[in-house]
This record gives sequence, C-alpha cells and structure tokens, in this order.
Amino acid sequence: MYLFANATIYVGLALAIYSLLIITLGISTKNQKLINSGKGGVIAILVCASMAMLSLFYLLATSQFQYEYVTDYTSSELPIIYKLTALWAGNSGSLLLWTFFLVLYTVMIAFSRKMRGNPMVPYISAILLGNIVFFFLILGFVAKPFVLLDQVPIEGHGLNPMLQNPGMIIHPVTLYLGYVGLAIPFAFAMAALILKNVDDFWIKMTRRWTIIAWLFLSLGNIFGGQWAYVELGWGGYWAWDPVENASFMPWLTATAFLHSVMIQERKNMLKIWNISLIITSYALTLFGTFLVRSGVLTSVHAFANSNLGLYFLIFMGVAVIGALYVLMSRYSLLKRSAGEFNSYISKESSFLINNLLLVGAAFGVFWGTVFPLVSEAVRGTKVTVGMPFFNTVQAPILLSMMFVMAVCPLLAWQRSSLKNLKKNFLIPAILAVVAMALMVVLGIQKAWAVIGFGVIVLLFITHFLEFYRGVKARRKMTNEKVYLSLYRLMTKNRRRYGGYIVHIGIAFIAMGIIGSQNYDVQTMKTVNLGDSIELKDYRINYERLDQKREGINDIVYAEMTVFKNGKRIGSIMPEKVFYGNWDQPSSEVGLISSLKEDLYVVLSDWEDDGKATFIVKINPMITWLWIGSFMIVIGSLFAVWNGKYQNITPRYTGVRKEVS
Amino acid sequence: MKRKIYIGLLLIAFIFQASIIQVQAKEFDYKSKEFEAVASQFMCTCGCGQDHFECDPKTCNLTVGFKEDIVEMMNKGWNKEKIREYYVNIYGEEILTAPEKSGFSLVAWVMPFVVLILAGVAIFFIIRKWVKKKETEVQTPDNESDKDEVEDEILSSMIEEERKKYL
Repeated sequence: MYLFANATIYVGLALAIYSLLIITLGISTKNQKLINSGKGGVIAILVCASMAMLSLFYLLATSQFQYEYVTDYTSSELPIIYKLTALWAGNSGSLLLWTFFLVLYTVMIAFSRKMRGNPMVPYISAILLGNIVFFFLILGFVAKPFVLLDQVPIEGHGLNPMLQNPGMIIHPVTLYLGYVGLAIPFAFAMAALILKNVDDFWIKMTRRWTIIAWLFLSLGNIFGGQWAYVELGWGGYWAWDPVENASFMPWLTATAFLHSVMIQERKNMLKIWNISLIITSYALTLFGTFLVRSGVLTSVHAFANSNLGLYFLIFMGVAVIGALYVLMSRYSLLKRSAGEFNSYISKESSFLINNLLLVGAAFGVFWGTVFPLVSEAVRGTKVTVGMPFFNTVQAPILLSMMFVMAVCPLLAWQRSSLKNLKKNFLIPAILAVVAMALMVVLGIQKAWAVIGFGVIVLLFITHFLEFYRGVKARRKMTNEKVYLSLYRLMTKNRRRYGGYIVHIGIAFIAMGIIGSQNYDVQTMKTVNLGDSIELKDYRINYERLDQKREGINDIVYAEMTVFKNGKRIGSIMPEKVFYGNWDQPSSEVGLISSLKEDLYVVLSDWEDDGKATFIVKINPMITWLWIGSFMIVIGSLFAVWNGKYQNITPRYTGVRKEVS
Repeated sequence: MKRKIYIGLLLIAFIFQASIIQVQAKEFDYKSKEFEAVASQFMCTCGCGQDHFECDPKTCNLTVGFKEDIVEMMNKGWNKEKIREYYVNIYGEEILTAPEKSGFSLVAWVMPFVVLILAGVAIFFIIRKWVKKKETEVQTPDNESDKDEVEDEILSSMIEEERKKYL
C-alpha cells in the first residue's frame, strides 16, 4: 500500500510534467497529436490524484497508524465520517484535496463539450498544468501525505474536536472548490492574452466559471460562519481572523469582476481592469494559502507552522509576475478599445463605484491583515488588528456598497437624465425615509442601524420595482398571467434576475449582521438547580445537570426549559464535551431559533452541588443571515443554470490556430 | 468627646467596609455591557484568538485572573481609558484588540480611507475624460438616452409575440 500510495503522487508528478511539456511542444509545433497526448495525460493525472485520495481515505478509515498522517489526525474510536474527513484536517491531506480539485477542473475544461475545437484549450490546460506540477511537487517533496513512522503507535492523536462537526465536513471542501475555481478564470484570461484574443468570448466563459468559484467561496464562508456560531460558543459567526480574511478578499475582488465584466460585455471597455481583477483574485487565493501554511500570522485556523508558506509565496510571485508580463505585452491590444461614457450618472458609472468600494474593502481587509507585519517591520512593535478595527473600517465601506447595490438596478445604461432619476427614485427614496422614521419611532435609535436598515428597505423597493416593471412590460405585450410572466421574464434573463436574487440574499445577510451586532443582549449567571435565569422576555428554568459518556468522550449537560412571555416554547440541552484524547473541552450550545431572534445558551461552569454558570444570549435576526445565504446559492445557481445555453454559452469568434 | 468621635468614625468605617465587601461578594455579570466595553479591548493570549470578554473562563485559566483584575479595577472606579493605559504600559500595544489611534498605528486606520478617496478621485477624472471624449464625438439624441431596460424588455416581449404568431 505504501508503495502504491506514494507511486500515485510521483507518477502523477511525472505525468503532469510530461503533459505540460508535450502540450507546450504541441502548441509551438502546431501538432494536434502532441496536444491530444497531453490531454490524455490530464486524464491519467486525474486517475493518479483519485487513487491518491482513495488511498488516503482507505488508510484513514482503517486506522493504519503506521502512517504519520493517520496518527496525527485520527484515533481508532473516531466515527467513520470524521476519520474520512480528517483527509483535509492536516497540511498534506488538504493539499492533496486541492490538487484533486485542480485536476478535476482541468479535465472538465480540456474535455468540455462547449470548448471542443477551441484553440484556447491547450493554453488553458498548460497554465493549469503548471499549477498541478507545483502542487504535485509540494506533495512529493515538502508535505508528503504518505510518510511511514519508525514505530507504530497503538493509538492516534485524534482529530481536533472543533473539527468534529457537520459544518467542518463541508466548509473546507466548498472553500477549496472556490479557491481552486479561481485558477480557471486566471487560466482563461492568460490563454486569451497569449492568443491575442481580446473578443468577449473568453470573458463570457470566464464569467461563468467565476460565478461557480464565487458560489463555492460564498458557501465556504457561510458554512465556516455557521460552524463558528454553533461550535465555538461565543455567539459570533465572523471574527476577522487572518484566515477568514484570506477567503473574504478574493470573494470581494471576484464580486467586483462579476460586475465590471458587464461593462466590458456592453461597451468593450475595462479589459485591463478586468484581467487585473482576475489576476488579483487568483493571487489572493495563493496569498491566503501562504497565510494559513506559513505561521507568519497568529490564527486559530492555521496549520502547524512549516516552511510550506514560503513555497506558496514564491509560486504566487512567479504567477503574478508572469501574468503581469503577459498583460503588459498585450497592453496596446487591450488599450485599443478604450471607451467612452455618455454621462456621469449611468449604470456604467455605478459599476465603477461598485468596483471602487469592493476593491477598497478588499484593500482594507488586506491592510488590516498585514498591518501587524508592517508595524513590526517599521517600529519593531507588534500590534494586534482584530474585530474592532475591521468592524470600524469595513462598516462604512460595505454600507456604501449596499447603497450602490440599492440604487444601481434603477439606473439606466448610457445615461440617466434628471427626469429618469426622479421617475425611478422619488417613491423608493420617500418610502425608505418613511421606514427609517418609523424605525426611530418604534425604538430603533442607533444611527448605524437606522441608516443600515433604511438602505436595505431602499434595496428591497428598487429590486421589487425591477421585477414589477419587467412583468408589467411583458404582460402589456403578451397578456400572460402574472406568475407565468415572472417565470418567463426571469428565465429569459437568468443572469440579471439571478443577480437580483443574490442582491436580496445579501440584503438579508446585512439585516442579520446589523440586527445581531447592534441589538444583542447577554448575561452570565450562576444559578442553583431549580432556579431560573431571566433575560428580556425569556425565562429559562435550570432543571437538571448530568453526565453521560459517548465513546471515549465525557459529556456534561444541563436540561433547561425555556419560556417566553410566560409561555413554554421548548427545552434545550447545552453541553460541555470533554474529549478522551484532547485537552480542551468544547461547548455544544443550546439554541432556539426564530425569525426574530435566537436564544443561545452556553453551559460555562458547574459545581458538585449542581450550581451552574450559564451564558445566555439573545441574538436578533440571525436566521436572516442563513436565509440570505440560501438565497445567494439559489441566485447563483439560477444565474449559471444552463437551460438551452441560449443565454450563456457564447460562440467562439477569436483567432484560429491549428491546434485545439 | 474625642473618644466619642473616634468611636463614631470607627463605626462609620466599619459600616463602609461592610458595604464594600457586600459589593464584591455580589456576583459580577461578566457579560454585561459595561464589562464588555472594558474587557473587549484586550486580546487573550491563550491562543483562542478571542478578546477577554469572549474568552471562555472554563477553557482558559488566563482569562479568569484577567477578568477578576478588570472587575477589581472597575470597582476602584477606574474608567475604560485608565484600565487600557494600565495594561498597555505593562504588555505593550500588542495586548489591544485594535491598534491605537495615534502615532504610527494611526496609519492602520487612515490608510484604507486615503486609498479609497484617492481611487475615488481618480475614477471621477476617468469618467470625466470618457464623458468628454463622447461629447466631442457625437451628440446622443435625447430620446435614445432616456431608453431604459424596461423598454428593452417591452421590445423583446413584442418580438417574441410576433415570433409566436408567425413561426
């Protein structure tokens, strides 16, 4: 098994090098046979990567502790699902997963039905193969997943209990799919530039792949937040940890790209900017990996310190310099189509503001993340840049972003006249102001909250009007029923209405963030058995404290009955779990969710006589955060859903080459 | 007389001391807003990545003592700034959850907005350049400029309607 497993890595590396060289040779000699051989090589690499994955799954599932990785991240009593998911708990395993996804995406592109006969394919494959070679080199010589120990231990070290949660099964997988996915737009952009192919074919294909990567990146962050909320026991979902920031930055720049690409499609402008955004997004994924694996910054997510980060930094440097070289060498070609605007106020201008804010937010996150290093380098003093900094800096930028998002749909392309502005915005603006006044009257008096909710109301109204006016226009001509008309309107403009669904999802998330950040209340109380804790409308009766054993873990739990306004609404069982092979216990929170608020109870401490200490929190509007997240998924899927391809798949009209 | 005053003072001191003991004995709510305002300024160094307000005393011994010290200082009447100064003097700026808003650390706060404003000004000039370029080329008729996407929508609906009739 040892030989087989290691062979999958080294044969994979050899095949990756072979495929890269043979495709490059095929391109330069215009020999289709060589290209086909390279493509066959990509399939063989997928077989190797799959075998490597299966080998590690097998070793983990069967607790083969003679392997270092299996010993480090599993133990024999671990449930089978967590034994398997330990594959991405450590450095080398997670890099293997990354490699597997990268190879999978490469095969999907190389053998894509839509890309058949397309001369960009060999170039895209070669660029992705360059990435694959790097990852196989890392797996083969730096972070080896299949290392044998000198002495076989009887038991493994076990999996960090924080990772033993359903959220942790999906979170890393989706995040990696997002990270790896951003390599595809990068490869498309580079291939297009090398081919001097500056028509909009590549950008349409790239946009599609970017939405997919963006969706996975969003999902990764959402699952991560959800996991933090239920597992860490601090009642929050986003801590602005360097590693969280590392996944948020490419998300922001990819979002900027998805918007500015529309200007390129419509007006053939911003080509250099769009390619720069793609390069930046890709570079930021590598930068994130550098942060996680180098240990230069303190993070709860970080893998054990290793020199792996350095390799990623070098690779990132090579990729960015290479990309900038290609970009500069095609500068005159791209510059040729520099465009023009009809007016200061138009949808185009609003997209530029949108890009400014999104990239500005990404810069703010980047700056805050690296500032400890800057401070240490400049004055030799370490500083911590945590939540208060990011909340203060990001809140105004992201709120402005929400405002642009609210206003943009009603701005016309080309030019918005005063008449047009008045017609579109008077009623929504009045309604938003009325809503804000109503909030103040009803007791919401924190300035940020009122402004934030006001902007969200404006967003809902403008987006509703978009749907309403579209349906009205259709019905005027076709006499269709309302729902049919809405359905047809949306399915004929998937991207646009999918985008609006995503906007509404973002608004829901913003509602959850503003509500939970501004109006949460909490208390920490020590109570005797039979006593109760009161907080706002809630009364929580503490009825029982007991202990149970699950496998090698001891669980202390409290049984509590919850009343709201005197009416029983349910019971909860907050737990503290003590792991047999881990020093730190973890909290399983007691949670009762509703659309209005979450009741969140943590068992903090207890004494022998049954007296216990609880942290009780009321987090308003958290559920909207999850509803919004769900809508983002729906909206993104709706936008990329193929149907009959009529909206999505463009025809290739670029330069012709002999090989494809 | 003097003796009576001494006894009186002693009595007052005794009553006062008792009240202090009572205040300290009363359970302190570590999740109160006033405690949050003070404790959330300080980063826990146990590796949890949380501040001393959030860090769980059950899993971190470091925060237990830290929380008690903060409460003691609050009981002494120290305000948020004084407590902050006290800890920064001992541990340096690193103990804070966010950089100071003075000296070099101010750069951390200001830089994102400076960059944003500069980029905003640059975008304004770019848009101005593009608009001027357009103006010098051709005047767009007013009726075309008012055209919006709903009209596009109507048009596409009409085309579809016609298509259904004839195809």
